[in-house]
Amino acid sequence: MPHSDIRVCAVTKRYRGSATSALRGVDIDARRGEFLGLLGPNGAGKTTLLSIITGVLRPSTGTVEVRGAGMHADRRRALSAMGFVPQEIALYGTLTARENLAYFGRLQGLDRATLAARSAELLERTGLATRADEPVRQWSGGMQRRLNLITALLHDPAVLVLDEPTVGIDVQSRTAIWEELQAINARGTTVLYSSHHLEEAERLCSRVVIIDHGQVAGEIADMRTRSGQERLEETFLRITGRALRDDPA
Amino acid sequence: MIRRVTAHIRKELLLLLRDRAGLALLFGMPVALVCIMAVVQDAPFKDFTENRVKVLLLDHDGGGVGRGIREGLEQAGPFIVTDGTGSGLSDADLRDRVRRGEQQVGVIVPAGLSDLLADRSTHQVASYFDLTTGEGAGPDTANVVLVIDPTVKQAFRSLVAGALERVLAGLSAQRLLTDLARRMSEMTGDSVDAPRIQGSFIGVEQRLAAKDLAGEKVALDSTQHNVPAWTIFAMFFSVVLLAGNMVKERDSGCMTRLLTMPGTTTDRILGRLAAYLFVCMAQTLLLLLVGRFALPWIGLAPLRLSGPAMVLLLFVAAAVVGLAATSFGILIGSFTRTQQQSAVLGSTAVVILSAIGGIWVPLYIMPDAMQALGRLSPLNWSMEAFNAVLLRGGAWTDLLPYLLPLLVFTCGCIALSVFGERRVARR
Repeated sequence: MPHSDIRVCAVTKRYRGSATSALRGVDIDARRGEFLGLLGPNGAGKTTLLSIITGVLRPSTGTVEVRGAGMHADRRRALSAMGFVPQEIALYGTLTARENLAYFGRLQGLDRATLAARSAELLERTGLATRADEPVRQWSGGMQRRLNLITALLHDPAVLVLDEPTVGIDVQSRTAIWEELQAINARGTTVLYSSHHLEEAERLCSRVVIIDHGQVAGEIADMRTRSGQERLEETFLRITGRALRDDPA
Repeated sequence: MIRRVTAHIRKELLLLLRDRAGLALLFGMPVALVCIMAVVQDAPFKDFTENRVKVLLLDHDGGGVGRGIREGLEQAGPFIVTDGTGSGLSDADLRDRVRRGEQQVGVIVPAGLSDLLADRSTHQVASYFDLTTGEGAGPDTANVVLVIDPTVKQAFRSLVAGALERVLAGLSAQRLLTDLARRMSEMTGDSVDAPRIQGSFIGVEQRLAAKDLAGEKVALDSTQHNVPAWTIFAMFFSVVLLAGNMVKERDSGCMTRLLTMPGTTTDRILGRLAAYLFVCMAQTLLLLLVGRFALPWIGLAPLRLSGPAMVLLLFVAAAVVGLAATSFGILIGSFTRTQQQSAVLGSTAVVILSAIGGIWVPLYIMPDAMQALGRLSPLNWSMEAFNAVLLRGGAWTDLLPYLLPLLVFTCGCIALSVFGERRVARR
């Protein structure tokens, strides 16, 4: 049996004061080296699940392990093995790219020399090196998104978790991010990728899990051998239905 | 842990350095406040020392009493006496001038006052020796009329009335002595000179309950009040910036990223505490320098410091105040959800706590109920700690009654912040 880099076991989550559960017994394994897509309509529970996997929220019941370390029993080891790219551009706009990387890198425990080398390499690889000493708020959305990504890669994590990493950017920047993610995955990093863009999932993911109504509603086991089969969008709608997912009144 | 705390400190300081409006709020505003408020409050602080009251005198008596009142007020110190007698000024004119604020006080000496005093004194002396009652000697008393500008404070009125009563008592006593001497001469046939009253036999010596500071006694003046007061205000006002940055950090997603990295809430709070403590110490240094060297340029007294030991004590007090202020900011930032909330709540809380805590005006001039309320304000404990050093020349032990509550306040704020930050960040 292949090793699991992320193991989610029977996770439930009910928010205080809520009558219903946001997650109802979710089980997911992200196997070492795979590119796992996490799809689902609005309100399906994706964000709650990602928050639990990344240690931001505690599950009501169930467990999460990252590389064998329990997220709540051995939090430091679990978090050290993981890089997280949030949906927001989680950077300090008045700091330069290099200062942002230095701050987050130090929090990951990198020493000065490693941090400098790693920052330079990642900035170069994503085409940001020439403007690395400018405040990030002066950058375009695409550049900020690329920096948002490489900030999570500074400590060379074994597992990378991404929440909608290409929202609101141009085609060029999105393509650059896709290529970077494929390269990272090719080097052995396990990627868990949450997105609304089915086209992205089709292009990038080796396996897709579809979440709906707080539980796993379906799975497409091998995306890379699907040519000629039903399009992902049709599969997604077949599993989740066509009913609109507006917020409850 | 040290590496992470250092990273947080560095980040907080960089964020501050890049925020020009924030720097102006932290350093420009308190410098402006110290200078403006020290100038504005200089006159009230000098009420009984350097400020002089303008007095317009109308002497209808023309005798020794009218002359004695003028000389007595002039010698009393805080009065500039203008004699309007013989200038055609009527009593009504005098009242008009005072009402218009041209003079703060008018004194009308009624006609015949010297004669009345002589008459009463003669009869009084006669009654000692001839056992007469002194009755039938005309009216018992007459009043010198004091006209006071309605806008003049009660303290000024008491000062003028007190000075005038002292002058009149002196004149009466002198007249009595003169009559007694004359009566003695008549009885013995020898010439007896009336003794001159040379001030009181028993006087009052004022001493400040402070140790000697550089060879001089330090009393509360505008500089000694405003420099520490606005230093404390500035430290506490940094909560607006600190709490705002915390909310911004959550809104931007940076907090989410931080929560997915190794490290604890304690690391982040320690980083913020240390960074803003550094800012508070820089504010203290700047405002002490302003008090010492800049205020004299605008005609105010310099901040008086007696030496390195006092400066050291001041910085210890400032460090504890800085910790309290920063922890209060962290508390506000931990429980507010928007930047507007943190700005309004932070600034309102600090303004109220400073107003009741004796920052704007000393606590002792407030009503009793307000004083009792003010003593619950951490800004009052801070002010008292600074006063203990600057005015009372206190030692370490004199500071503890004020610093210990501040430290307890700090610990309380931090404990609540840890709880609040976890709750809000993970909502």
